[in-house]
Amino acid sequence: MITAVRALFVSVAAIGLLAVGQSAHAQDKTIKIGALFPMSGPGSYFGAQDKQGVELALEQLNKTGVNGYKFAVQYEDSSCGPLPATQAAKRLIEQFKPDVIIGEECSDATLAVMPIVEQAKVPLLNAGSSSIKVTEPGNPWTFRIMPNEVMQGVNLADNAYKRMNARTAVLLFENTNAGIGNAQVFKENFIKHGGQVLAEIGFGRDVNDFTSIATRVAGLGKIDVIPTYTLEGQGLKITQALAQAGVTKGGGGNAIQIGTIWLPFGFEQKAGKAALGYIRIVQFDPTETRDVVKNFSAAFKAKYNADPTHLNAHAYDQIMLIADVVKRGGKDPQSIRDGLAATKSYSGVTGSVEFDKTNQNTKMDTVHYMETKPDMSWTSLKWN
Amino acid sequence: MTTTIVLQQAINGVVLGSLYVLVALGLTLIYGVLVQINFAHADFVTLGAFAAYFFMHLVGAGYIISIGVAFLVGAVLGWLINAAIFTPLRRKGNELLPLIATIGVSVMMQNLMLAWFGPIPYAFETPYSSQVIRFAGIYVSWQNVIIIAVSSVTIALLYAFMKFTFLGKALRAVSQDRETAGLMGINPNQLIMLTFVIASALAGMAGAMLAPVLVLTPFAGTSVIVKAFAIVIIGGFGNVEGTILAGLIVGLIESYTTQYLDPGLIDIVVFALLLVMLAIKPTGLISERREENV
Repeated sequence: MITAVRALFVSVAAIGLLAVGQSAHAQDKTIKIGALFPMSGPGSYFGAQDKQGVELALEQLNKTGVNGYKFAVQYEDSSCGPLPATQAAKRLIEQFKPDVIIGEECSDATLAVMPIVEQAKVPLLNAGSSSIKVTEPGNPWTFRIMPNEVMQGVNLADNAYKRMNARTAVLLFENTNAGIGNAQVFKENFIKHGGQVLAEIGFGRDVNDFTSIATRVAGLGKIDVIPTYTLEGQGLKITQALAQAGVTKGGGGNAIQIGTIWLPFGFEQKAGKAALGYIRIVQFDPTETRDVVKNFSAAFKAKYNADPTHLNAHAYDQIMLIADVVKRGGKDPQSIRDGLAATKSYSGVTGSVEFDKTNQNTKMDTVHYMETKPDMSWTSLKWN
Repeated sequence: MTTTIVLQQAINGVVLGSLYVLVALGLTLIYGVLVQINFAHADFVTLGAFAAYFFMHLVGAGYIISIGVAFLVGAVLGWLINAAIFTPLRRKGNELLPLIATIGVSVMMQNLMLAWFGPIPYAFETPYSSQVIRFAGIYVSWQNVIIIAVSSVTIALLYAFMKFTFLGKALRAVSQDRETAGLMGINPNQLIMLTFVIASALAGMAGAMLAPVLVLTPFAGTSVIVKAFAIVIIGGFGNVEGTILAGLIVGLIESYTTQYLDPGLIDIVVFALLLVMLAIKPTGLISERREENV
């Protein structure tokens, strides 16, 4: 009898231990996401807002998990530059051993990181880099959910010529892969329509005072549009300098600044009335009526007591797309890569996602236009 | 039209040059007296900019008063850091230690400001930023008028202080020969402290003047400091007059390079000038002997 009781006790203990072991194993099932964000330097506003979007997504996902997996993110400061980005990527891969990496925002940094993730066979999900080189001719480990510079630039040139009736343009851009690439795409397509580019003015990221550039622009004659490709800080100064020189609407002139997805929401309030009439592409329209957008906006507001920006939305979509891949069976770098490639019409807050053979998102419903109104608010133009 | 543009770019260049001079003067003062490069100078500029910004926006003070506040914040911080870090290191007798410490102070200040103020650029608008005077095709904002006026007055006062006051003469004596100046009854340590306080105050004030022009982030000062170093070298290490002249020349070079060449070539032109100066006249535009500096 004693032997039978002892056997029963041992059996129960064994089953209990087994259950505890399985439970512990289930808790260990974590998808590790490395985040390469610029947290310092002139692009650090990207990182700060990206992180908010990531944290919101993690909070929602980790309440229940997905397919038994929880999600953990390790942030590294990649500083919007090739050298810090490569160092950060190596640190992530060697120490954190991520299943997938998200980031960077700046094209030069992303391009520098791509060979590293390819060698390590870890998928890189990019949202903010527009250079065509990120996806052309194609890298099996790099995916991009935002429209590239060609998709945005062709669309912007079309709209400038056809909807805005612009016939002359002056291009202002930072001397980086993305800045030069965006400007060139606009130029080629604007000229193809019959438009005329009066000047192409590139500048380094260390330029602070844009008064001299604005003076030069003011001397170029009648200008309809000024496509501008630069980060927020320099963008503010350019917009204010152009207004002071009397070139743009905000300064009593006729020219309208236009641009692709470079500037965050809130830019117009910072720039003041100099930003009047500024038309630019953003990749998130909070006025959309889709449930996913409404729910995201409400949750963001509840968590941060602020309205979400397109950078918040980008980062949120990156994490949620990874979660969708995990739901479809992704569990390690290879299966997550394959899952990303197999994505069909995923509906995120910024728009739809479906990759072509170069891993570029082909959906144009991620392109939204906004225009700055006289009271420094903005309106969605519904051009796409 | 061409004359108008030439004149307009001259005004733009003088405004930019005045800002560079304000930043570079502090560097040149410290080099002239201590023969030390202060790598943290850029961060005093940034802190001055934030001091002015928050004084305006939180206290609701006017911009001109905020410039004064930035000047005081720079002075106090210069005194504190010199007393707490640089002076003890200097006493150890190794000239490298304070130099390396300036790098440490710079990194520390940048990261403290990043933690306090965050990475997102601030828009520092003053009531004068958007007020523009237009005359015969030329325009200049009131902000730029203030920059030129305050810079001119500051430079004149500094010049008068160095040339005509007892403390100014004592500073020059220390810069020429610290030991002999000490034998004449001058306390070199007090004057080194005074140099740091004046240089840091000037940096703080430069920050307040630059803030509406540059992109205000915790790294703002670093974007102008390389140019300021170049100006100090072109002007003549530690030479105040040379620094003023070099600052204005660099400002004008930037304006005209932007107009007639390409803004992307600005650094190439400025640093080519620096190399030419080093090759032809390594003592700088004005200085002949280091003993005559400051």
